Amino acid sequence: MSTCPSCGVELETPLGCAACGALLELGADATPFEILGLPIGYDVDPTDLRKRLLRFSRLVHPDFYATADEALRSRAESGSAALNSAHEIVADDARRADWLLRALEGPSETDERQMPQEFLMEVLEWNEALEEARESAPGSGARSALTPLEETLNAERASVLAEVARSLSPTPAPGAPALTETRKRLNALRYLDRTLAEMRALRLEQAANR
Amino acid sequence: MGYVELNVLNNTAHLPAIGIDLGTTNSLAALWQDGRPQVIRASGETGILPSVVNIRDEGEPLVGRVARDQAVVDPENTVFSVKRFMGRGLADVAIDVATQPYHVSETERGLVQIKLHDRKYTPQELSGLILLKIRQDSCRALGVEGLRGAVITVPAYFDDAQRQATRDAARFAGIEVLRIINEPTAASLAYGLDQRGEGKVAVYDLGGGTFDISILSIEEGVFQVLATAGDTQLGGDDFDRVLIDLARAELADRMSPQELADPGFLQAVRLSAERAKIALTHDPETDFHMIVPETGLRWHRTITREEFEQRIDSLVARTLDACRQALSDSGLSTGEIEEIVLVGGSTRVPLVRRRVEEFFGKKPHTELNPDEVVALGAAAQAQVLVGGTRDILLMDVTPLSLGLETVGGAVAKLIERNSTIPCSVNEGFTTYADNQTGIDFHIVQGERELASDNRTLGRFKLTGIPPMPAGMARVTVRFHIDANGVLTVAAREESTGSRAEIEVAPMHGLTDDEVEEMLQASYEHAKEDFDARRVADLKAEIGTMQRATEKNLEAAERHLDKETYEEIGEALEAGRRIGSSTDLAEVQAVRDRIEAATLPLAAVLMNDVAKAAVAGKKLEEI
Repeated sequence: MSTCPSCGVELETPLGCAACGALLELGADATPFEILGLPIGYDVDPTDLRKRLLRFSRLVHPDFYATADEALRSRAESGSAALNSAHEIVADDARRADWLLRALEGPSETDERQMPQEFLMEVLEWNEALEEARESAPGSGARSALTPLEETLNAERASVLAEVARSLSPTPAPGAPALTETRKRLNALRYLDRTLAEMRALRLEQAANR
Repeated sequence: MGYVELNVLNNTAHLPAIGIDLGTTNSLAALWQDGRPQVIRASGETGILPSVVNIRDEGEPLVGRVARDQAVVDPENTVFSVKRFMGRGLADVAIDVATQPYHVSETERGLVQIKLHDRKYTPQELSGLILLKIRQDSCRALGVEGLRGAVITVPAYFDDAQRQATRDAARFAGIEVLRIINEPTAASLAYGLDQRGEGKVAVYDLGGGTFDISILSIEEGVFQVLATAGDTQLGGDDFDRVLIDLARAELADRMSPQELADPGFLQAVRLSAERAKIALTHDPETDFHMIVPETGLRWHRTITREEFEQRIDSLVARTLDACRQALSDSGLSTGEIEEIVLVGGSTRVPLVRRRVEEFFGKKPHTELNPDEVVALGAAAQAQVLVGGTRDILLMDVTPLSLGLETVGGAVAKLIERNSTIPCSVNEGFTTYADNQTGIDFHIVQGERELASDNRTLGRFKLTGIPPMPAGMARVTVRFHIDANGVLTVAAREESTGSRAEIEVAPMHGLTDDEVEEMLQASYEHAKEDFDARRVADLKAEIGTMQRATEKNLEAAERHLDKETYEEIGEALEAGRRIGSSTDLAEVQAVRDRIEAATLPLAAVLMNDVAKAAVAGKKLEEI
């Protein structure tokens, strides 16, 4: 942790100083964890994270600099934007894991496109059920079969995510071979999230067509 | 107002910062006074300004109630609900245009223009006139000579073009925009829901022309929007239209298609539809009637609330679809929503209240006047922005995803909808041909897969990339959505560090230069209009003098000396040459020359008249 250049107090975030109210220029290489004043790692307490977002927003939000000079206003805009995007990455389990994997020099989703073997058979089944629901009329049997499918996928998501969490905590060494397995699980997670989003859209569409 | 910091560098610091609700149907302003926001109103007035503009013959604008009074007598030049045209293209507003009596066109960049008398006005200018009136009325009511600035509210679901259009309207009105904030968020602020502790809140805002639903989390004085959804073309106007269509359908066998599309008729039916709708809020049935004295039309029928509700049910259902969407995006269920706030005049419709209550399973808040609550919240936010309080903080979201068109015509999303603002994203691009010095971008906003199905915010060309082999250039483009929800784009070529230039031609919007130009024009407009009329009058006078002189010159020639005769000829020639000149001084000089040159001729003619009279001739024989 560094100290505030204006008052010398230890900083909780490089965005600004809670003690003297100084708004600081954020370095281009500040990581999302650094911005939120957290150690790099997968384990994050959601309540603490949320409190940090609100506390730091009170430091940097442009609303508190509306009548300041142009330079300070634009620093508040970019500081606030950096805080929001850091929060979005760290608050989302899949995005946080993806960020860590990259930071640990693990394979990217273009380097490693596979999903875990045991997952593939199920994917074929789910795709078929989803395809049927997509092409059938709202209110039909195929549509109502979506609800149990959604439950299955949500349970599957929770178990994949648990495996991802296990593989990333404690934080593995950079370049560790096990990171390839983690990437495969993240690919599965991405598939599940995309599929679940589509199911939500279908459900909204069904409600709208009532 | 003891909270305002004294700033010696800024001489407007002592002036009030107000909140303005620029509504589809009505507009009003509020100010933080004595520890709470209050509507600004002159004594004995409501402070509510109907958002109606009428342009007089001479180009002079009327705004508010006086403009609305012109609706039936001067329908072609009276504009209601101009907010629905803000930042839109002609195709977006077709349903509105169909029942408007005035002429609407579109520029090549898709900017809507409304023709009133012989001038075309953009929606930005017309909204600017409403804001100007709000500014003047507020200053008068508060007894101040000017404003420090204003927070102006927009529907949460407004896209970038609609927000920019609102900002441009404020520029036309000479108002410094402190912040553009979302109407439902402002409303939650006005309710002071933070005083009740922590919780999740839904704000259902159905106005005259727009619908928004916002789901907020309130915690430690921070109002954080979790998700928002809506429809910027759905509101009380559409309830009116249901009744207008009903009247037109029932009158179809009594009136010709031309009569049914007559401007005066349309305004009359619109006003009585609105009257019937309002009556049905309290009465189980009402008389839906119309009298147009010009055509002798008399029509009436009874409409029950039940029938009205049947006819608007599908519109109300659309608002609930948006509620479902926002809840789904926020990851919450209806049971987790602790409070529901109703905003906007259209939430007075009993069916709306019933459906919202059924949907959320709770009685919504209706304590505050739904017409005033948005302006009150805007005033509270203005107080935050000028440093009056740090107790509350609004964290809002962008309502629509932002993306770029890819080579295949799909969309690469850069910023997801419901991202907290301000937010930015840096995206890297490179060249695909050797020595390529520019890259074209197409920025879109919306949720659809194909770029062409989304709304185009603008196209820009990145220029000034130094010549180098394909794929070598590394251009970083930064897309930033600021706290107003407005997008800015900046670019840099990384390998040389040179800043590339970006020109964004906004769709359905005005460029900064255009706004500047129009502002200049409006300053000069008054003088120009005066000059133009004077030139026209002078030319008419020159024409009369020419015809009179030519008719009499031959006969009078022998009475005139050569010099006078030649001067008359030359003066007439100058009159013919004046043609299409609009230079007032020049036209005036020619007119004066003809007058001076023909004075001797006039004398001769007068003499002839006298002689003729003596000779017993009639005057007209001369």
